[in-house]
Amino acid sequence: MFYPLALLLLAVTAQASVLTLKSPRFVVSDSTGNQLRAEPYVPALVNTRASSPVKLGARENLKITFQVVDKEDEKGVQPHQTFIRFYDESTGEEGIQPVRVTPGGKAKFDLNLSKPPLYLPPTSDEPLKVSLIIGTPNYDPISAPLFDLVLPRSQPAPVHPDEAVFHPRPELQHTFRPEQKVPNKFISLVFSGIALAPWFVLLGLWSQVAPRATGLFSPSILPFIASLGAFEVLLFTYWVKLRLGDVLLYGGILGVVTVFTGRRALSSIAAKRTQ
Amino acid sequence: MFSLRRWCLLALSLAGVLSVDAKSSTGDSVLVVVDPAQQDSYSIFFNGLKDQGYELTFRSPKVEKPVIIEDNVSNFAHVILLAPEARNLGKDITPQSIVELLSLKTNVVVALPTKQSPLHALAAEFSLILPPPGSPLISYSPKRDTPSTLIPISVEDHSSPVLTKHIRPVWFSGIPQALGNNPLLIPILRAPAESFASEVAVTSGSAEALVDAAEKGGEGLWAGSSLSAVTGFQATNGARITFVGGAEVFSDELAQKEAEQYVQSGNIDFVKEVAAWTFQENLVLRIEKVEHHLVNGTEPKETYTINDNVEFSTYISKWNPAKGEWQPYSGLKDLQLEFTMLDPFVRTALPPVKGAPGKYSTSFRVPDRHGVFKFVINHKRKGWSFLESSTTVPVVPPRHDGYPRFLSAAWPYYAGAISTSVAFFLFSTIWLAGEARDSKKGKAAKSE
Repeated sequence: MFYPLALLLLAVTAQASVLTLKSPRFVVSDSTGNQLRAEPYVPALVNTRASSPVKLGARENLKITFQVVDKEDEKGVQPHQTFIRFYDESTGEEGIQPVRVTPGGKAKFDLNLSKPPLYLPPTSDEPLKVSLIIGTPNYDPISAPLFDLVLPRSQPAPVHPDEAVFHPRPELQHTFRPEQKVPNKFISLVFSGIALAPWFVLLGLWSQVAPRATGLFSPSILPFIASLGAFEVLLFTYWVKLRLGDVLLYGGILGVVTVFTGRRALSSIAAKRTQ
Repeated sequence: MFSLRRWCLLALSLAGVLSVDAKSSTGDSVLVVVDPAQQDSYSIFFNGLKDQGYELTFRSPKVEKPVIIEDNVSNFAHVILLAPEARNLGKDITPQSIVELLSLKTNVVVALPTKQSPLHALAAEFSLILPPPGSPLISYSPKRDTPSTLIPISVEDHSSPVLTKHIRPVWFSGIPQALGNNPLLIPILRAPAESFASEVAVTSGSAEALVDAAEKGGEGLWAGSSLSAVTGFQATNGARITFVGGAEVFSDELAQKEAEQYVQSGNIDFVKEVAAWTFQENLVLRIEKVEHHLVNGTEPKETYTINDNVEFSTYISKWNPAKGEWQPYSGLKDLQLEFTMLDPFVRTALPPVKGAPGKYSTSFRVPDRHGVFKFVINHKRKGWSFLESSTTVPVVPPRHDGYPRFLSAAWPYYAGAISTSVAFFLFSTIWLAGEARDSKKGKAAKSE
């Protein structure tokens, strides 16, 4: 892309004529006109640029002057295309500005940063590569790197709102509610112990006064006791795994059974009492 | 008549054309609108398309048949407009009808004219800014003996996703396009840095005109590598349209011209790649299936509960043009899944599954908000077809018995309740089974 100016010398063998730059010079001056840096730019034989990058501050001015002449007869030429190209290699942004050249070939390019022109590409901290492109019919083209230009940072190039969809987007994770805190199991055990404490008192008292269950296995009472036990078992099973519909079904059946066994048991007890 | 070198180049070009058979995923019928006098100058390109299996129908710009759109249905799968000199292309080919073709999923290749034409309005529809009529792309470098409007453009590998193989330098002649700020645009061939658009005849005022145009502001100057010579555009429904700056890129003469010493130009390969991309052969993907289920299950549930662990899988295929079939494709490295209710709650990567070609899967925990969520895949990359899929799934809070039971904090209550039941049972047993107290004496004492 950037042809070394050595081509200018080699092109003597070609038929087309060769252009060259006479007294190329660039000047950096600040807003009051003091010259901060003025260098003649010598087109080097190899593809090198000016010795160090040119730094331009926010209110400074860069002026590039040169004259385009035919190499053989030193007459001024006004080329069709005289462009200064600013290129940011890291982002690929580019800005091109034509330079006004008089019919005698004298060219003057002015870059005033207090009124930044529109053709400058968005700049970051990377230097812009500045090059000069000259082309005109019947002459060899020139594409010469000039220098690296460091400009103050600018706003980045505007991005279409949908552009983010065309790249991987940041991952999102949901923050969940924290797990419910469960109190210490030891405390639960202690209070379960407190809830079960009356049993120990009961067992202690029973050791003194034992209850007598003499009629336990008589056939009129045992079914009723069994029904009551079945109800307790049903209740426990409901708590563990059953659903309301099943419980009502079993409970209904058991209830009918309990009615009969209960009548039998209680009537037998009543009969015993009235004897 | 022909030198040996020319014969070798011709043989190479024909060999290149005959060696590959590639099919489009959307159909084989192509309408080519070209001036019959010029048709033979594009013979290598057309024969190449025919050898790949496309059926070409030729239509002159002056003739109105065959009609492109009839009764809201497109008659052809693809259209090539290669008649930039024609002043109008027929009553049924207007910018509006070409946009309608795209909405009917027909792909289009358009060669842009240098002079004013309705196709300039078409390009503006797609955010392309064209130079004024009569200013083609000009470049004075590299130094060569062809006119300044015929430019060799060297193509870097991977400079555009559309060009899948190495392309030798391409001869280009035509107008450049400045790209607007539209992410659906895909530049295929960029103009060289030293090129610019200007009138061909260089007079004493040409240089001044360039400077004045640039100072006018706005899009005054078309110059540099930000311009594109061939631009592609993929519409949101998947249809592709390519704007080529000039029809000479397709011509036999440029195809056989040498780009560098003893190196044939890459025009044939380039137009083949452009046609392959535009006619939906290359870079075409689709989602075959989408599945979701609980991590340990296989069937999809109708509703999920909050805090469930859900596994989501998708199967993606790519069109293989050489075989003409869809094949599972595991090459997507950055596929992402979003779990969305108005805004994405979860966005995770969908990595490919080793051992299952074409399958991408991930698992995640459903957020603890209930509502109607969507599994959304929205994968858009420049040059590739758009993958979009959305599966709606309700997420409900746990049912009354979905909460944890038997908490350790409730042990005292369990102890108490069970104690009560046991105590009742024991008491009733003892009461029922115990012997009756003798209460006759008590009654007699009371009655007295």
